[in-house]
Amino acid sequence: MSENILEVTDLSVEFTTYGGTVKAVRDVSFNVERGKTLAIVGESGCGKSVTVQSIMGLTPTPPGKITSGSAKLNGREILGLPTREANQFRGVEIGMIFQDPMTSLNPTMTIGDQIAETLMVHRGKSRRDAFNQAVELLARTHIPEATKRAKQYPFEFSGGMLQRAMIAQSLACGPAILIADEPTTALDVTIQAQILEIMLELQRTENMSIILITHDLAVVARIADNVAVMYAGEIIESGSVDDIFYQSAHPYTVGLRSAMPSNTGDRDKQLLPIAGSPPDLFSPPKGCGYYARCPYAMEACHESAPDPYTLTEGHIARCWLHHDDAPPTDVIHRVTR
Amino acid sequence: MSVLDFSPARRTAQIEQLTRPSLSYWQDAWIRLRKNVRAIISLYIIILLGIFTALGPVLWQVDPALQDLNQVSQPPSLPKTAILVGQYEPWKGIVIEDFPPEAIEYLEMVDAPMGLRTSDHPTTQRVRLIWNPVHGASGYNIYRNQRYPEDFNDLGLPLGGTFAGNEVSYEDRLSLESRSYYYSVVPTDGFDEYESFSVVEIIPRTSITLDEARSRGLLPEGKTIGEEVSLKFHPFGTDYLGRDIMARLMEGARVSLFIGIFAPLFYVLFGVIYGGFAGYFGGQIDALLMRFADFVVALPFLLFMILFKIAFGIGPGESGIVPMLIALVLLSWPSTARLVRGQVLKIREQGYIDAARLLGGRHHYLVLRHIIPNTIGVILVTLTFAVPFAIFTEAFLSFIGMGVAPPHPSWGSMCNEGVKTMLSHPHELIFPAVFISITVLAFNLLGDGLTEALDSRMRARE
Amino acid sequence: MIVYTLKRLLAGVITVWFIATATFIAMHQVPGDPLLNDKAVSAEIRKNLERRYGLDKPITHQYLIFLRNMLPPNPDFGISFTQQNRRVNDIIKDHFPVSAILGLLAIFFSAAGGVLFGALTAIYRNRLPDIVIMFLVILGISVPSFVFAALGQLLLVNVNSLMGYSLIPVAGWGSFTHMLMPSLVLGLGTMALLTRLMRTSMLDVVNEDYIKTARAKGLSPQRIFFKHQLRNAILPVITVLGPQIAVITTGGFIVELVFAIPGLGRYFVQAVQQLDYTVIMGTTVFYGAFLVFMVIVVDILYGFIDPRVRVQ
Repeated sequence: MSENILEVTDLSVEFTTYGGTVKAVRDVSFNVERGKTLAIVGESGCGKSVTVQSIMGLTPTPPGKITSGSAKLNGREILGLPTREANQFRGVEIGMIFQDPMTSLNPTMTIGDQIAETLMVHRGKSRRDAFNQAVELLARTHIPEATKRAKQYPFEFSGGMLQRAMIAQSLACGPAILIADEPTTALDVTIQAQILEIMLELQRTENMSIILITHDLAVVARIADNVAVMYAGEIIESGSVDDIFYQSAHPYTVGLRSAMPSNTGDRDKQLLPIAGSPPDLFSPPKGCGYYARCPYAMEACHESAPDPYTLTEGHIARCWLHHDDAPPTDVIHRVTR
Repeated sequence: MSVLDFSPARRTAQIEQLTRPSLSYWQDAWIRLRKNVRAIISLYIIILLGIFTALGPVLWQVDPALQDLNQVSQPPSLPKTAILVGQYEPWKGIVIEDFPPEAIEYLEMVDAPMGLRTSDHPTTQRVRLIWNPVHGASGYNIYRNQRYPEDFNDLGLPLGGTFAGNEVSYEDRLSLESRSYYYSVVPTDGFDEYESFSVVEIIPRTSITLDEARSRGLLPEGKTIGEEVSLKFHPFGTDYLGRDIMARLMEGARVSLFIGIFAPLFYVLFGVIYGGFAGYFGGQIDALLMRFADFVVALPFLLFMILFKIAFGIGPGESGIVPMLIALVLLSWPSTARLVRGQVLKIREQGYIDAARLLGGRHHYLVLRHIIPNTIGVILVTLTFAVPFAIFTEAFLSFIGMGVAPPHPSWGSMCNEGVKTMLSHPHELIFPAVFISITVLAFNLLGDGLTEALDSRMRARE
Repeated sequence: MIVYTLKRLLAGVITVWFIATATFIAMHQVPGDPLLNDKAVSAEIRKNLERRYGLDKPITHQYLIFLRNMLPPNPDFGISFTQQNRRVNDIIKDHFPVSAILGLLAIFFSAAGGVLFGALTAIYRNRLPDIVIMFLVILGISVPSFVFAALGQLLLVNVNSLMGYSLIPVAGWGSFTHMLMPSLVLGLGTMALLTRLMRTSMLDVVNEDYIKTARAKGLSPQRIFFKHQLRNAILPVITVLGPQIAVITTGGFIVELVFAIPGLGRYFVQAVQQLDYTVIMGTTVFYGAFLVFMVIVVDILYGFIDPRVRVQ
């Protein structure tokens, strides 16, 4: 088994608002292996972004508050560090790119200066050296005419080019982990493929880990090694990409797959949406969060939250269907004991 | 762990369910506005101002032009009384016969006069001072100060003097008010003062002559000299001509609020029509109309306000509410026009306009049914902010004497008069200034509240 | 950028022409004969003026002469009606610098104060400094400038009497201390407005994605504040500076009156009261041209700060 570079255990995050307290992330645990890609999948508002932003120390506090858990980067605790200490790993050991490249770069600074800024701050380089290196970084993300482009402003770039610049920026200090928060959502499909390709290529050359946050299962299937499926602030199933796609062990994962088009199998197969909407996280249900929408719901699901069941090595699902007393179903892959 | 029930769930709740009740645009905005404490307080203030302006003159029937010469530049106070006195009769003064008028010998030092007092009750009609003669003095100088004199150089206003050592009285009739005065008497050698003085504090009683009281209708049956009568009550005090400030504020409010409300109404209406026309038709018409609006914006506002005002036949010194109204409308419409045009252009691009057009909606239907209802929020906000702007402009112009001219009071012209007596009687400036400020403040805060209430709803809609 | 500047300048010239025309039309609506109005004008000057302005000629002709006299590089605004033999050009030359210094200082105070206080309120959002400053801002927006002028003078009187000597002159013009209070008073309203704008702008920028990016890059809060937040937040403040210069320059009338400053504004008010036609017309066109020019300057300045405008 390969080495874990980031270990997150029992992370819980709350937001205090006028309407009450939102339990946005509840007891989330996952590991990131060196050189591998972990995809965190889930629908909007399920807590994917909050999870990684909390690890990076980017959740505004208040209203946000990390109520429990730990995140260890190479064995060192990084959760809840003061800004000065957090800045020793942010941008250095963990780089991050965001959903909308059009708004994620400072409109009044040149692209080159923004990349160079990271190097000047963390590596103590002179402005000239940093700028030259920024041009190299841009070239590595396949931006044509990098020297000229580095002197341009964000509004002169297209969305795809900006996302490349964002990647170049996050790579500046050679981070061990790249967190990509829905990096392709705001882009055209053709551009999406290019960006993913660049990320994969850099991962190979830099032996870098990637945490990819997405709601797009096609993207997951393409680049992820491991997958964590989040629903209503919890990870309800995690495992290798094969486990998740071929041996889905949670009705929600099954639901997601049914809602996704595929190029194999029956062409007349209808895409099935998952009816309903996620529970109100102001007052999360005491049982399973998916209870209200689950086609296999049982009385037990309403009464108490499901235990995590380990199906195979590294494949974990939180669903009562894996209980020995639960009735068998046709779609859920059961523990064979 | 307790026993778990693995039978299929018995669910009753609908999965797809809308929990929020649906509210109309205005209901929603009103709910938001009601939560905004500052906006609601402002709304109450505006209502109170309206009552003050409309009902005030009915309840407070004092002629704003009437001069109360007994009470000039009076600060706000409770009702005052005055003592009735007769016509002024000259006073011969006191000369001590058996005392030498000229000092017999020149002395280096003489004592301060003893027994400085008034000969009878001091009133605002006159204060009569007497004192004991001083050995060696050939005359006396009399000073009046409004605070206790600290030393010889701080005696205050020189009132006059007597020129004989035995003339030991002085009558002060110099614009007396009912307040503390410190009179000082300094002995002289006929020309120069000795450095000694005595001080007495005197508070004259407010007085009114019998004839005057009768002519002003202040004299109840049977009252005579020496008795008290109540004077006119001026809750906010009086101005430098003795006019009641509260009555003037009420009349001034009518001018200020008239311009503050009607000018915005007219120019916002014109701006809406102009901007709506440009925005709805677009293209060449739009470009031409908006270019003209740009020109008008470039005119230096206050200079042209003044120019237009005199151009409409109003010279300095004449009252000119209507010319000011016209000038405001002529110069202020472009901002509204721009705003409405932008809004209309945006709405025109919306899908529901295309849909309505495809369904055969005519111009007037589109305008009445879709475009006006969707711009009304912006127009309302503009209108609210236009009111303080117009009130400010009126006050500014009146202040430099280019607006509503005397004797018609407006809050601005009252400030103009008040600023001249600011140092001695600050209340003449403070009251109109506070009224302008509160009105402008209330409309601004209400405008802020409206923007928030309408804007967030607009955002949620998009 | 050069094309943009030239375009703006051309539009500016047309605007000034419009202002001149509007002034001409407005002045010709004023009832009464400009020359009969004043007895102080001698027959000689009267003849002079009639020749110069062609007052006996038809109105279109007069208009053309008026325009020709205005033409750069040597615009001639004529001779004052009430101040004998004093050219309007000289009046402007003598008194405009005073108004300009006053306005410039006021703009400086209001811009510096607005940016500073706006940034402070955003940093201390919903805490005591924010609440105090925003309360003052609401006062600044709601209290007319002449009240500020009066209060400022009152304050000076009290300070001086407390000190026992004239620390800061209460009125008049001359030294730097004379300029302090009038320009501060003049800038207060604009300062309040800019503070408010700066606050909203700062709070908008804080929520922008690029601030999150900057934090994820591991930059210090100070660096984020100065390099990323402040610069972007100032942009909308600069856009309103152009129109605000107009507000401040014409608002100077009152301050000049209250503080007895020999500026052009005071002369304009005086000229209007005496119906001094040439002075009114000359000053109006001059002010108009000046303000149009200032708006263009601010726009070009903005182009240097916001790359989005510069490149287009």
